[in-house]
Amino acid sequence: MRNTAKRYVRLYKVLIGQFFKVVLQSKVDFLMGLFGFFLSQFMGIAFLYLVFEQIPSLQGWTLDQLIFIYGFAQIPRGIDHLLTDNIWMVAWRIVLNGNFDRYMLRPMNIFFQVISEKLQPDALGELLVGSILVIRCLMKGIVVVDGIHIVLFFVSILAGAVIYTAIKLFFASLAFWLKISGPFLQVAYEMANFAKYPTEIYAKGIRFIITWIIPFAFVAYLPASYFLGVGGAFGFGGNGGVVAIECIIAAVFWIVAYALFQKGTSIYESAGN
Amino acid sequence: MIEVKHVSKEFVSPKKYPGLKGAVKGLFSNEKVVKKAVDDISFSIADGEIVGYIGSNGAGKSTTIKMMTGILKPTQGQCLINGIDPSRARKDNAQNIGVVFGQRTQLWWDLPLSESFTILKEVYNVSDEEYEERMKFLNEVLGLPEFFSSPVRTLSLGQRMRADLGAALLHNPKVLYLDEPTIGLDLVVKDNIRKAIKIINEKYQTTVILTTHDIGDIEELCSRIIIIDEGKKIYDGSLEELKDTYGTRRKVSMEVKKQEKLKGLNLAEKLGASHEECRMEFDEENKILSVTFDKHKLQVPQVMNAVMEVTEVKDIQIQETELAEIVKEIYNHGIDGKAV
Ligand SMILES: Nc1ncnc2c1ncn2[C@@H]1O[C@H](COP(=O)(O)OP(=O)(O)OP(=O)(O)O)[C@@H](O)[C@H]1O
Ligand SMILES: [Mg+2]
Repeated sequence: MRNTAKRYVRLYKVLIGQFFKVVLQSKVDFLMGLFGFFLSQFMGIAFLYLVFEQIPSLQGWTLDQLIFIYGFAQIPRGIDHLLTDNIWMVAWRIVLNGNFDRYMLRPMNIFFQVISEKLQPDALGELLVGSILVIRCLMKGIVVVDGIHIVLFFVSILAGAVIYTAIKLFFASLAFWLKISGPFLQVAYEMANFAKYPTEIYAKGIRFIITWIIPFAFVAYLPASYFLGVGGAFGFGGNGGVVAIECIIAAVFWIVAYALFQKGTSIYESAGN
Repeated sequence: MIEVKHVSKEFVSPKKYPGLKGAVKGLFSNEKVVKKAVDDISFSIADGEIVGYIGSNGAGKSTTIKMMTGILKPTQGQCLINGIDPSRARKDNAQNIGVVFGQRTQLWWDLPLSESFTILKEVYNVSDEEYEERMKFLNEVLGLPEFFSSPVRTLSLGQRMRADLGAALLHNPKVLYLDEPTIGLDLVVKDNIRKAIKIINEKYQTTVILTTHDIGDIEELCSRIIIIDEGKKIYDGSLEELKDTYGTRRKVSMEVKKQEKLKGLNLAEKLGASHEECRMEFDEENKILSVTFDKHKLQVPQVMNAVMEVTEVKDIQIQETELAEIVKEIYNHGIDGKAV
C-alpha cells in the first residue's frame, strides 16, 4: 500500500516534469495562455466595479466584500483547473477516437493517468489573482481571522476543488455512453461562473440550481460569506456549518462521479480504425 | 498459457438514417443496430508460441486483441491470460503484457523517445539493473539509439514502430500482442521487425500473438495460424497443414529454347488430366512456360518429361502454391469452399 502510494508520487513527479519541459519549449503558448487569463480576470473584476457603480449597495454587500467573494472563488477553481484539466480531453476527444485505449493498457489507476498527463499553467493566473484579492481583503480587515476560520478556510478550498473535479469527471464520464460529452460539461462548468457573485442577485430558479443541483454556491459564495462573518442566503454563512455541508457535498459528488467513471471505463468501446 | 473461452463481442449503436431528415428521425427513434464483431471464439495458446491471427478487413482481429488486453470487456465468454481475467484484474494483467498497435502509437507524442522510456520504467516499476540490461538488448535488436533523443512526433513510421515495439518490451512481458506491426513499412524495416520478434521470442520465451495482412510475416514468424472471418474462427492449426490441405496446386516454370515447338502441345490431354487439373500458360517475352497442376494427380517429373519430349528446357523452377493465394481463396469463399 505504502509502496504503491510512493510509486504514484514518483510517477507523478516524472510525468509532470516531462510536461513542463514540453510547455517550456513552447514559451509562446504558455505566455499567450497567461495573457488570455489575465485579460479575463481583469474583465471579471471590471464587471464588479461597473455593476457597483450602478447599484452602490448590492443587496447590502460592499464592493470589498464582493471582491473577496470573487477572489475566494478563484482559488478552488484554480486548483482544480491546474491539476485535472486533462479531464476535458475525455469529454471531447479521446473516448471518441479511441486514444483512451492506452490508459487501459497500463498497470496504473486510470483516473491518475488521465490527470497526470497535463498541468494547466493558465490556472496559475486564477490562483494568483485569487490570492492577491484575498490578501487585499485580509489587509483591509473585512475578513474574520481566528483559529477555526483559518482551518475552515483551507478545508473549504480543498472541498471546493474536489467539487469542481467531481462535476467535471461526472460530465466527462458521460462520454463513455455518448462518445462526446463536451457540450454538457461546458454548460455545467459555465454554471460555476455564477458562484463568483452573491446568489441573491440571480432569479430564483438559477439560485436553486447553483445551490442544490450543481452546488457551486457552496464552493464559493456561501463559505466566503462565512469568512466575511455575514449570514448569507438560506441562513447559512453565519456559522461553520456551511463548510461541513460543503465537505459532505464534496464527498458525495466525488463518490458518485468516480463510480460513474469506473462504470464508464468498464463499458468503454474503443474505436474501430 | 492463454485461454480464450467462447468469447463474443457485440457493438450496439443507434440506427442511422441517411440525410438531414434521417438525422432528425434518428434522434427520436430508439432503434439499435447490433454488430457482432466477435462471435463465440475459443482457442488456447501455450507459452512461447508465435501465433498469427489473420482475417480480412473487419473480421474482428483487433476486437479480439482488445478483449485479450483488457481494453474491451467481452459481451460473453472469458479470456484468461496466465490465469488472469483482464476484464476483472486489468492492472495485474497489464503488468504482464506488452501491446503494439501498428495504427496508433502508445508513446508520448511530444516527448523525446528517451523520456517515454523513462516514464515507462516508472510505470512498470522496472529496476535500474533490469532497465540497463533491457535497453542494451533493445538497442541492439531495434537500433533505437539512432533516434532516441528525437520527439516521437518527428519519427518516421519505421522508427516509430521500432520505438513502440521497444516500449512494449521494456518490462519483459510474458505475452506480446502485435496488431499489424508491419503495416506501411518498407521491406528492410519489415525484415528487421520480424527478426527482432523472432529473437525476443527465442531469448525470453515471450508468447506472441500477431495480426497482419502481410503473408510474409506469417511465413517468417508463425508456426501456427488462426483465421477468423466475420467474427468466427474458421481455421486453427499449423501453417504446414493449411498448405497441405488447401494448397494442392504446384507450379512448374520452364524456360524453353524453341517456343515454336510448343505449338499444339496439350499437356492435360497428353497426361490424362482434366483442364482444371493441369493448366498451361506461356510468357512469350521470356519464353517461359508455366504449368499449374494438381499435385495429387500429377508429379513434377511427369510434367517435365512431357515438355522435354518436344523441346529443350534451359531452366526450371518449381513452386508450391503461395500461401497468399490460399488465404485469398479462404477469405473469398470461406473454408468450405475448398479453395485452390
Ligand atoms: N468501437 C467500435 N464500435 C462499433 N463497431 C466497431 C468498433 N470496433 C470495431 N467495430 C466493428 O467490428 C468489426 C470488427 O472490427 P475489427 O477492428 O476487430 O476488425 P479487424 O479484423 O481488426 O479489421 P482490420 O483488418 O481492418 O483491422 C468491424 O465491422 C468494425 O466496424
Ligand atoms: Mg484491426
